[in-house]
Amino acid sequence: MATQLNLEELVQDSRVHRRIYLEPEIFELEMDRIFERNWVFIGHDSEVAEPGDYKTLTIGTQPAILTRDEDGEVHVLMNRCMHRASTICQEHRGNSSYFRCWYHGWTYNNKGELIGMPYARGYGSHFDRAKFALIKAARVERYRGMVFASLNAEVDPLADYLAAAKYYIDLFMDLSPAGAVEARCGTHKYGYDGNWKFQMENGVDGYHPNFVHQSFFEVQGKTLGRRVMRLFTENSSYESKDLGNGHSILDMSSKRPRQNRPVRNILRGATSQASTDVYMDSLLKRYGPDRTSEILGASNVNLAIFPNLLIIGIQFRTVIPVNATRTDIHLAPTTLKGVPEEINVARIRAHEAFYGPSGGGAPDDVEMFNRCTDGLRVKGAEWLELSRGLEREQITEDGIRVAHITDETPQRAFYYRWKELMCGMAAANKVRRLPSAGNF
Amino acid sequence: MPTLSRHDAEDLLYEEARLLDERRYDDWMAMLTGDAVYWLPLNGSGGDPNREISIIHDDFAQLRDRIERLATGVAHAQSPPSRTARLISNVEVAQPAQDHAIVRSAFLLYEIRRGKQLLYAGRCEYRLRFDGRWKIALKKAVLVNNDEVIDNLTYIV
Repeated sequence: MATQLNLEELVQDSRVHRRIYLEPEIFELEMDRIFERNWVFIGHDSEVAEPGDYKTLTIGTQPAILTRDEDGEVHVLMNRCMHRASTICQEHRGNSSYFRCWYHGWTYNNKGELIGMPYARGYGSHFDRAKFALIKAARVERYRGMVFASLNAEVDPLADYLAAAKYYIDLFMDLSPAGAVEARCGTHKYGYDGNWKFQMENGVDGYHPNFVHQSFFEVQGKTLGRRVMRLFTENSSYESKDLGNGHSILDMSSKRPRQNRPVRNILRGATSQASTDVYMDSLLKRYGPDRTSEILGASNVNLAIFPNLLIIGIQFRTVIPVNATRTDIHLAPTTLKGVPEEINVARIRAHEAFYGPSGGGAPDDVEMFNRCTDGLRVKGAEWLELSRGLEREQITEDGIRVAHITDETPQRAFYYRWKELMCGMAAANKVRRLPSAGNF
Repeated sequence: MPTLSRHDAEDLLYEEARLLDERRYDDWMAMLTGDAVYWLPLNGSGGDPNREISIIHDDFAQLRDRIERLATGVAHAQSPPSRTARLISNVEVAQPAQDHAIVRSAFLLYEIRRGKQLLYAGRCEYRLRFDGRWKIALKKAVLVNNDEVIDNLTYIV
């Protein structure tokens, strides 16, 4: 089948073919060319805050372990005994200086070094333990506490890779007067019987909320619910932006944010005036009035970092490809360092109201991915249309492609990058139109 | 003040199970106190819900929103709705004060939706308060699989 596929034809400038969501061969190529040759999001520093802390994860579909060693260094180790392949760590997370493979007892430290094999005489005098260290991710780099890894030593520096997304990551982190968040309050886990790309498309889709989430807006009360729904209509002044390298954002920055307004994240969880005042004072003290306004104005975030991370609301959302038609999703909500506890409680309650397997919003997104996967089976309707806003998107002076919030510019940005990695830059450039000079 | 026997507690839990299986959520809400909390912890039996996220941690107002949202007709993850049948067992009763009882139970919850059958199991802890009749002030449902992937749990457990 793979030889019959012409990948170049399956992703075009304004539409993608249904087979990219269904074919196991394409999924395997994605793991190789996208997840294993580029940067992927691994987690946040604070998830392994103490020496010995670890958590298990996958890079593409390969099992791995994020560890912090006794010197405070962070490692990404492949979860595979170098003897006969058994995974060496079975827990979601924990604290341990050593990992023992219980098949034949080989033991590694949390730097990945093989420190012992039972009955070692059997291996003779020339056995070189150093050659049997756990495989490590070739590169591990961090940005503002976010840990990324790559299995490809030749990958560009992380800071270059993140491109214009860095500006929005900074805003997310700077909501803390200490300039740091923590992701230590648990992980919501859910998933769907569909392709991983559906979730990456949806996390920065400003066209869907008024339909998929109508029920949530309806019960938020007439004033608030309607105000939020207006953000996602044709009359909205908000924008979607292509940030480069497949990253994108729904930019809902308020033009005139009010510094004294209670912290409202995703509609619920207003805080008391006292806590709000303490919080605002600390922001002003750290950042000054202009930056504080900018930070607060941008506190409603939907940011996609190619290929596997969405920063939405207060959460890091990791998209985990399982196979062509199964995807898991992990949400790691964050708390802000250096704020009154009430602010973080409000963030947690607001998050729970909309997200997770029982939230008022996320399960309805997942329902759509399941419905789409059913619909994809129809032959004869071969294409998924992603042309919305193609005629009116524009490129700003700093090279950022900007469109209306309901436009499919973020999805096109994703697939442009997808095509570059899957088929080569030349192929990707062949299909990318320069935007016309229209207005929106 | 009445004593809550195990028989009384079982009657109450069976009634609740029947209302939830029939999705008679307004009738179910009437079984709760006005300050009731409905809690599905994440990661085992649950720590401090102000420091750790839960699957659900609803006060009465949030629970009212949850029920209303399900009734809008456009709560897609429940359209069509999950059909459920639940078995309640292992009921234990403690009554630390005359107007206050703690009921513990085990449950097995079968669900079918969109052709997919699911089985959940767990333990419940109820705090009941006597206010003319026994009402539920806390329902804490601890799912065995609450640290694993759960795709869609948008009805009331």
